Amino acid sequence: MKNLFVIFLVFSVGLSVFAADIPSRPEKLKFPELKYEPPKGSDYRVELKSGPVAFVVPNRELPLISISILVRTGKYNEPKGKEGLAAMTGYLLSKGGTKSHSAEALEERLAFLAAGLSSNIGDTSGSVGVNLLSKDLDEGLAILREVLTVPRFQRDRFDLYKTQQIQSMKQRNDDSRNIERRELVRLAYGDHFFRSQSATKASIDSITESDLRGFHRDWFHPGNFVVSVSGDFDRKEMVLKLERLFSDWSPKGKTAKPVPTNKKFAKAGIYIVDKEVNQGRVDIMLPGIMRDNPDYYAVQVMNDILGGGGFTSRITNRVRSDEGLAYSAYSYCPGGTYFPRTFVAGYQSKSRTVLYAAQIVLEEMRKITQEEVTDKEIETAKASYIQTFPQSFETKGAVASTFASEEFTGRLSNNPNYFENFRSKIRAVTKADVQRVAGKYLKPDKVAILIIGDKEEILKGHPDHLVNVDSLTSGGVKDIPMRDPFTLQPLK
Amino acid sequence: MRAILGLLLFPLLLGAQQVPVKEHFLSNGMKVLLLERKDAPSISGGWVARVGSVNERPGITGIAHLFEHMMFKGTPKIGTKDYKADVKIINEQERVRDAMRVEERKMREMWRKGEITDLQDPDQKTDKWNKLNEEFKVLIEEHRKVIVKNEFDRIYTSNGGSRMNAYTSYDHTAYFIDVPSNKLELFMWMESGRLLDPVFREFYTERDVVFEERRMRTESTPLGKFFESFNSLFWESHPYSWPIIGWPSDIPAISKKQADEFYATYYMPQNLTLVLVGDFEGKAALTMAEKYFGRLKKGEGLVPDVVTLEQPQKAEKRFYAEAETNPNIDIYWHTPAFGHKDTYPLSVLAQVLSTRTGRLHKKLVLGEKIATDTWAWQGARKYAGEFNMGAEVTDGNTPEQVEQVIYSLVEEVKSKLVPAKELQKVKNNFAAAEYRRLSSNHPILMQIMRSEGLGNWREINEAGPKIQAVTAEDLQRVAKKYFTRENRAVAVYTRKPGTGGGDEDPIFAGLDAQAKAMARKVTSTINADKDLVQLKKRLADLEAQMEKAGAKAPPVMKVIRAVLRKRIAQLEKK
Repeated sequence: MKNLFVIFLVFSVGLSVFAADIPSRPEKLKFPELKYEPPKGSDYRVELKSGPVAFVVPNRELPLISISILVRTGKYNEPKGKEGLAAMTGYLLSKGGTKSHSAEALEERLAFLAAGLSSNIGDTSGSVGVNLLSKDLDEGLAILREVLTVPRFQRDRFDLYKTQQIQSMKQRNDDSRNIERRELVRLAYGDHFFRSQSATKASIDSITESDLRGFHRDWFHPGNFVVSVSGDFDRKEMVLKLERLFSDWSPKGKTAKPVPTNKKFAKAGIYIVDKEVNQGRVDIMLPGIMRDNPDYYAVQVMNDILGGGGFTSRITNRVRSDEGLAYSAYSYCPGGTYFPRTFVAGYQSKSRTVLYAAQIVLEEMRKITQEEVTDKEIETAKASYIQTFPQSFETKGAVASTFASEEFTGRLSNNPNYFENFRSKIRAVTKADVQRVAGKYLKPDKVAILIIGDKEEILKGHPDHLVNVDSLTSGGVKDIPMRDPFTLQPLK
Repeated sequence: MRAILGLLLFPLLLGAQQVPVKEHFLSNGMKVLLLERKDAPSISGGWVARVGSVNERPGITGIAHLFEHMMFKGTPKIGTKDYKADVKIINEQERVRDAMRVEERKMREMWRKGEITDLQDPDQKTDKWNKLNEEFKVLIEEHRKVIVKNEFDRIYTSNGGSRMNAYTSYDHTAYFIDVPSNKLELFMWMESGRLLDPVFREFYTERDVVFEERRMRTESTPLGKFFESFNSLFWESHPYSWPIIGWPSDIPAISKKQADEFYATYYMPQNLTLVLVGDFEGKAALTMAEKYFGRLKKGEGLVPDVVTLEQPQKAEKRFYAEAETNPNIDIYWHTPAFGHKDTYPLSVLAQVLSTRTGRLHKKLVLGEKIATDTWAWQGARKYAGEFNMGAEVTDGNTPEQVEQVIYSLVEEVKSKLVPAKELQKVKNNFAAAEYRRLSSNHPILMQIMRSEGLGNWREINEAGPKIQAVTAEDLQRVAKKYFTRENRAVAVYTRKPGTGGGDEDPIFAGLDAQAKAMARKVTSTINADKDLVQLKKRLADLEAQMEKAGAKAPPVMKVIRAVLRKRIAQLEKK
């Protein structure tokens, strides 16, 4: 070790130093030009004869292959009373064995090969994937085929999953973060929207093996799949292997249903869940937008300036840097694919400064609707979007999965030039656009404010910054009761 | 037998996957690590300061982390419209703060006498402190007029910088960002600038931010405060015993002067390592590094060493916590520091025990069904290490019961060699991970910085072969050496009564409060009972009673019957 150190030291001396040419400001630095063109989805897209569309991206750098299959299903397909069925089916597909392998045998084999097999079903999509060394490709594909077609849903794994779910339900009220997540969805989308229909002990208890089999049979067939593959393989050979993977499939299953859109945003007001912690978690919410909304780009730039851009954004500057009221203060406004998502400005602050910070956030929301943003702000936000754009395609795996997701959600066909045009659309956003969309979507008098924390301390406020609750909302303060962790019914 | 076994094994036969990092030193002793990768038009860059919370002392705990926050506040050139006015206001602020510190000293004395109950409570400050605070607020307002808010961040952001962040650990502090590949010089300008002459603006507001960070991470989470307390129990003499974020008494007491001293002591170039990963040309990058970072003046002498060793533990330590959590058991043993030869078998052993095909899951979750989740890991810090095993306990069992089963697994490792195939499975996963870690620039940068911060970046290449060389005998040896009773500390978590919302145990649902309390008590005695004959007799007696009572049998009997049956089944399976 010591010897090496000396050798390197010798090599290090003698570098020329011209510290004198260092400019006084970074704006004076000259940078070489950087040209970047995003990859095109069509270059990797293959319509398999066996049904699915696949994105095949070879990369010989490392002896690894990653295969992922997106499935058109989701929580929205759960029958009433069977909440939790989608997630349970998704989990047990890869963890409950297959027709010819018990769960234990399959897990042991995969572990020995250092291969990862995963599956899950979320709100609006499912996925099954395998990540393995390229020497094990054929064995991995055979396992994948069995998982997709003849899952075992082994009894002891089925029971274990239920026990684990019930066990984790017990922690539903322990961490204020979990309460926040649950109530945010309910306020933003309404109690009746499918995203709010969380599993209960009764719904988990009622799920049977035949429910799982039915859910699997209905939605897991090649007509509902979009595939992404990247890694160490020959493209032609891989396409042939994929054809085989999806050929001779029975039964046919069902055509995917459209994702419901019947959401309902809460009435204006402050909604408090009383929980004894010394820091309140806060979400200031408004209805959001769809990603294909023509205002999408302007809204992203506006949000970046308001609270999406980290330290260069207004909310972070005021709530964190100026006032020291929070470690994390932010806003986000993603575009929805199937239904409009939610605008959220959030932070966590000690009980007694929760309301003061809310006042500041609302002030900033009003201000951005009333005054044009500065040149510096809009230039920073736009430059950031434009220059970080190559990150979407940072790895070959990202190329495959990004395009698979575009195909899955339909944008690849209805807006095939999305990536090609992204930067020019951002570039075209003006200060007037930012103010216009702020006025259109940020309605401070319509906000629903969710607070999880110590109600009494929070409403007491801080002696240096007293805030009248009515100045924050016309809707008044409403209590959200803690919910029974098993039934999710309000606790008295 | 031997031959067949050999055929079954199929070791992965991977060559050691070296990460071709090039090491250099600048003229002032600063280390530079370069890794060229041409995957994407970007560079992940960062630097490590070999200083962390271990270099602190009581009274200034949390300073390494607070300092990290301050490094984003700018320089004489970045972050101000008028540097002269800026410095004047900062000095003025310090004058007021010195006076406030005199008051804070008085308040601590008042607190000792019980005249104040909470030093943080805005309602309990002295009048003089409040008056000085008003004065200070005026200075903050004045300062805002000359500050250019978060300019350091804005320059990077408007140039396509992303993922800018930093972290402080027990042993090291790391700062990092991704920039487009044509912005390497901007990175050099910015980073060398803040190292050369950082200006600690908004120092006291940032302390409040750190306090909110502490509330968020430690105080307002179900287990944060217990983990912090347990950590302090586990480490006795070593500076690892205090939290990285600092004790709540210390954070508000840290002065700017102390931060200046900290900088002068630990941020000298020979204590720093610059790391670049991505699309650049090595030689040009090195020349540029010398031009920019070569400006840092080499410090006098050596950085102070961490002298205090953790004293060998004398007796088992136990920690009982009632928390808003499902019951669980969490056991820690002292193990050696990063790079010690025993850390490799310990890392392998952790994998033998953890994962879905590991021994803990198979025995506790799938076999005895007394846990829903298990974990095991070996964590090497720079100066000493820890090995952790634990489990979340299922209903009807106690953490102590699960603890005993974990010890039986430990004893098994001590008494029987781990079979070849099981060992090979674990090694295969280590070997594959050597490839998987090379996915993209940013995670590679993080690994190099972490390894360097722990003592030696070369471990990213040298650990792999050492792991592959571990034998079953090594596993047995380290298990015997470290997994002893007097070397462990055990945390037992049970649910705090009255939390968990509805009924914490579904088996008791429907019982009234009195019956519930009784059922709970009886259940714990049943589950602690190992006498099968006695249990069966109790069951028979109970069933006879129930038959006699018929429809009038109270529901609690049914619950107890179920508990008895479950316990009997459990014991019979053993």
